[in-house]
Amino acid sequence: MSAVLTWVLGPVSPDESPFRRNLRMFFSSRLSTVSTLMVFGFVLLAIAAPLVAPHDPNETDLFRRLQPPAWIEGGEWSFLLGCDALGRDILSRIIYGSRISIFIGAFVIFVATTIGILAGLAAGYLRGWVDIAISRLVDILLGFPYLIFAIALIAMMGPGLQNILLALIYKEWVMPCRVVRGETLAAREVEYVEAARALGGSSRHIMLREILPNILSPVIVVATIRMAHVIILEASLSFLGLGIQPPTASWGSMVADGRSYMLEAWWVSTFPGFAILILVLAINVAGQGLRDAFDPKFHD
Amino acid sequence: MNFGKFVERLAQLLPVLLGVTVIVFFMMALTPGDPVEIMIGDSHVTPEQEAELRHDLGLDRPPVERFFVFLGNAVRGDFGISFYHRRPVIDVIAERLPATIELSLVALVLALATSIPLGIVAAVKKNTIFDKLATVGSLFGVSLPGFWFGILLLMLFSVHLHLLPVAGRVGYEFEVPPITHMLLIDSLLQGRFDAFANAFKHLIMPAIVLGLPMAAILTRVTRTSMLDVLSQDYMTFAEAKGLSRSRILLRHGLKNALIPTVTVAALQTGALLGGNMIVETVFGWPGLGRLVVESIFLRNYPLVQAAVLIYATTYVTLNFLADILYTILNPRVRL
Amino acid sequence: MNEVRPILEIHDLVTRFATRYGVVTAVDGVDLTLQRGECLGIVGESGSGKSVTFASVMGLVHKPGWIDRGSISFEGRELVGLDRLAYRALRGRDIAMTMQDALTALNPALTVGTQITEVILAHGENLPAGRRQRRRWAREQAVEMMRMVGIPSAEMRLDEYPHQFSGGMRQRMMIAIALACRPKLLIADEPTTALDVTIQAQVLELIADIRRELGMSVVLITHDLGVVAEYCDRVAVMYAGQVVETGRTREVIDAPAHPYTQGLLASIPKLSHLNERIRPIDGQVPELIDLPPGCRFQSRCIHAMAGCEAPQQVRDGGDGHGVRCHLAVTGEAS
Repeated sequence: MSAVLTWVLGPVSPDESPFRRNLRMFFSSRLSTVSTLMVFGFVLLAIAAPLVAPHDPNETDLFRRLQPPAWIEGGEWSFLLGCDALGRDILSRIIYGSRISIFIGAFVIFVATTIGILAGLAAGYLRGWVDIAISRLVDILLGFPYLIFAIALIAMMGPGLQNILLALIYKEWVMPCRVVRGETLAAREVEYVEAARALGGSSRHIMLREILPNILSPVIVVATIRMAHVIILEASLSFLGLGIQPPTASWGSMVADGRSYMLEAWWVSTFPGFAILILVLAINVAGQGLRDAFDPKFHD
Repeated sequence: MNFGKFVERLAQLLPVLLGVTVIVFFMMALTPGDPVEIMIGDSHVTPEQEAELRHDLGLDRPPVERFFVFLGNAVRGDFGISFYHRRPVIDVIAERLPATIELSLVALVLALATSIPLGIVAAVKKNTIFDKLATVGSLFGVSLPGFWFGILLLMLFSVHLHLLPVAGRVGYEFEVPPITHMLLIDSLLQGRFDAFANAFKHLIMPAIVLGLPMAAILTRVTRTSMLDVLSQDYMTFAEAKGLSRSRILLRHGLKNALIPTVTVAALQTGALLGGNMIVETVFGWPGLGRLVVESIFLRNYPLVQAAVLIYATTYVTLNFLADILYTILNPRVRL
Repeated sequence: MNEVRPILEIHDLVTRFATRYGVVTAVDGVDLTLQRGECLGIVGESGSGKSVTFASVMGLVHKPGWIDRGSISFEGRELVGLDRLAYRALRGRDIAMTMQDALTALNPALTVGTQITEVILAHGENLPAGRRQRRRWAREQAVEMMRMVGIPSAEMRLDEYPHQFSGGMRQRMMIAIALACRPKLLIADEPTTALDVTIQAQVLELIADIRRELGMSVVLITHDLGVVAEYCDRVAVMYAGQVVETGRTREVIDAPAHPYTQGLLASIPKLSHLNERIRPIDGQVPELIDLPPGCRFQSRCIHAMAGCEAPQQVRDGGDGHGVRCHLAVTGEAS
């Protein structure tokens, strides 16, 4: 058992900056690199949607109702993945739908992480009643299962893009906040002792300069993994009809649209959902790679 | 466990529950749409009657007072009348709750039954094909959108293969007198194997969809925890004592390795509650989750409010229990 | 003395590990003998290969490590390549081992009683029939063992957990477990390193007492020369995977022949020379991956000269005193 190995051999000492080493480790894994490229591919797709999509995603054509994908009899190659109940091209809608998913995922994570970092820093550094207030708030918000909270908020505010963003951000910021608070508290212990010994002075400055780099790694890892979560959440909300409203193409609502046609037109639900799977899988694999690369325990 | 510590933890729980209740109340209170108007609907009512109704419902009082009324009622289980069903909310919820509980329990059992062995084997056979497959599988499990997976399963097994039913909890013809309200158990207890089979066929797909993300997470947790245990000195020492491999693994290893698994499972059970809404909607399962979703569209706010409160309270309690469970299982933390 | 066969003979043992940085040769051609009833001290720093050598003896080296070549003979029986079940019967019963840190070596989730009785039950012969009788008998044996190692109120403490004992008690517990089946050979890996100085002496005395009582052979692995001087009949000094000096303790300590041993002895602060500076050995232990073919101590040796780049053989200095250094025999190292 490898216990003997760890018992007997010592650790091998590194000689380069930990961040660079972790980054190098990340890209040394083919899987991580590939999945990161895929994610970027999706982002590019989203940005270049008007150029890439073969048709207008909202253009209806009742003659093309439920037209099958190109390789099935009755399909056309210009409508590669078939059409939905209103004759809209599924492929184009998927491409445009990527904008929604990626935008929501990125925006929510970015804003939530920023808020979380600020709140976490405040709680961990200032302590006192600030910490108590923020921690209480975090505990209470964590008391709601994710989807329930989002749904309740949507029920309250109504569906639509803006409200989805708000609903998701409201819960999402607690994750980075907790991480940052923990790291700040830990760093504080170290710095506090050292600063107490060295004559005070700009200890606040030192703290911020020491803490911030330490925070970045776990926060980035958490953010990546949460982004995958958020994308699935948005899709779930849209599926339930509580998210992005028609006619805007959201992958989730596209899957919902196809529910009525499970027997005669399986492609309407299948392909949009598949797109979600691929994007989320790519993000998760990349996130996993990040986690492994930045985790010191993994460097056996 | 030390009673004092227990009480201390309990005391930390109460403010959270209170805070949750406050938030739920104000979420609903701030919802656009006057409940009185919704209740009246299209029926013709004089302004005096409307004012009287408002007064009866206590809606003309200031919000803080209304909150305490709400809290007092909630503790007693009185959540008002459901607009849509014209029955007490609590009754409607109580009717649908067993279905959700049964589904969640079966999903939990399935998840544990698959993830624990998979995780252990993956750790013992680290870096082999099996391990890599397990890791890939578990990444898949958390990346798969539940609603899509459910629809795929339905398309395959129900619509095209006609192997499994499309929706619902049990066929109409299988009427089983309720004892525990868990169909699987009730039907077995009364020897109704046909009903059992039918109920099972209805349950299996939603349970798999609901349990898959959890199984994926638990597999990874078990694997990581087992790997950690395998590298511990006490495992080497156990081997140095000349014990058999199975004894080392099971007696020395599992006891330590399963602690994270069990605690994470307890925590994740709460997440199952959220997933319920999706799965129940997709499979037409007559549970609380689907009720909530429907109620939102119907603007049946008292019900939504009550359900959210119940969900949140359960979730907080589950987390609390998970905490306690951890201290019980881990002898080092116990004392 | 030479007619009686040694209880343990290690001959040209080579153990390697495959790591992501390359193949590490932790043990490189080690020869050791242990006579019956003798106490052999193994001295070396971390990375010297002392622990791996005896992990190999116990058959505890699994992938990514393996025994490349060599022979380990226990009571005339070849251990290298021994099948799994036979090894299992040997471990805990004929050869037992204790580890450095009793806190991590004892399973925190199992009672100490379980951890002793399971060894007894795993190797017991002539066990009483019936599960309950067997368990009771095993518990009695366990209590007996705990008393022997000096754990008070043994019977009541059987059902407690390791973390409820103090550090010294835990070490005794580990010794009790190791000796539960009265093994012929005890390998004690750094038995005192994790303990306070006062407890150290107690534990070592305990091992010495039991050794006398049971006629056990003991291998004492340590980096503390003081311990060796006090308790070991013979000593082997290891460096970077090789044995660099062996011999009777008295001789090696009074007249160390290898520069490394000399350096070790010189670096021990002496009470009688309080005003002298401490003289550590310059440099560091070489990485075990890229080892030079010649003497491994070369880079730190004050006597390094021509001839040191060649692989050093062990030279016999008479009366079982072996030294792996070409200078020792010529007398240039003093």
